[in-house]
Amino acid sequence: MTCPKCGTPMNHQAEKLVQPIAAEELAELSSAVDGLLELVFACPGCGWIDSRREPATPPASA
Amino acid sequence: MSEHAARVVWEQVALRPGVESELIDVAALKIPVDDAGETAKDPAFAETMNRADALVIVTPEYNHGYAGLLKHVLDTNLKEYVHKAAGVVGVSAGVFGGARAIQNLIPVLRELGLVTIFWDVNFTTVRRRFDDEGTLVDDSFLAIDKFLDELLWMAETLRYGRENVTIGGSG
Repeated sequence: MTCPKCGTPMNHQAEKLVQPIAAEELAELSSAVDGLLELVFACPGCGWIDSRREPATPPASA
Repeated sequence: MSEHAARVVWEQVALRPGVESELIDVAALKIPVDDAGETAKDPAFAETMNRADALVIVTPEYNHGYAGLLKHVLDTNLKEYVHKAAGVVGVSAGVFGGARAIQNLIPVLRELGLVTIFWDVNFTTVRRRFDDEGTLVDDSFLAIDKFLDELLWMAETLRYGRENVTIGGSG
């Protein structure tokens, strides 16, 4: 992830378990951790924090 | 009385070289009360939390708990708190100085991703500590300097970690 404030590549510093609230989030539920993972990033350039949800694991093909 | 306590701690923070601080009254934030969590986020407050390296949370104790409004406000952010330092200041009319409110608050802060320090500040018997003008007249057992020493150490260490140590050890 690139810092939206200064353009520096951000450091992936944390993976925080969160519980789904919205209906669309339920579809993204990870069976591995019983929730969703919020991937948290910090900018070494300016300290800005950003995050994104971990994409759902695609179902295994038969 | 909690406002007096908050101001006293804030003034001590302001004396630390290289530290920028902001005093926030959660009651003054424009956060709706008919919703909760990140959907009720206040952009200005979220940006302040994003830029912060540490939080000093001052809370009164009511019925052995912390203020409900404080929880409502804290719940409006998440990523902004992760791997940041937090210290808690308790305020109460009795001799425990908000200790029971602090103990109730610590698990909440942990779930929000904050890293709590092992020093607290306890404003015990708070009405005897301030005069009518809100001036602190009894600073016994507060140890605000020790609290801030630990908080700033944790804040600096966690900032380095956030920006340089990758989760899982890769990169």
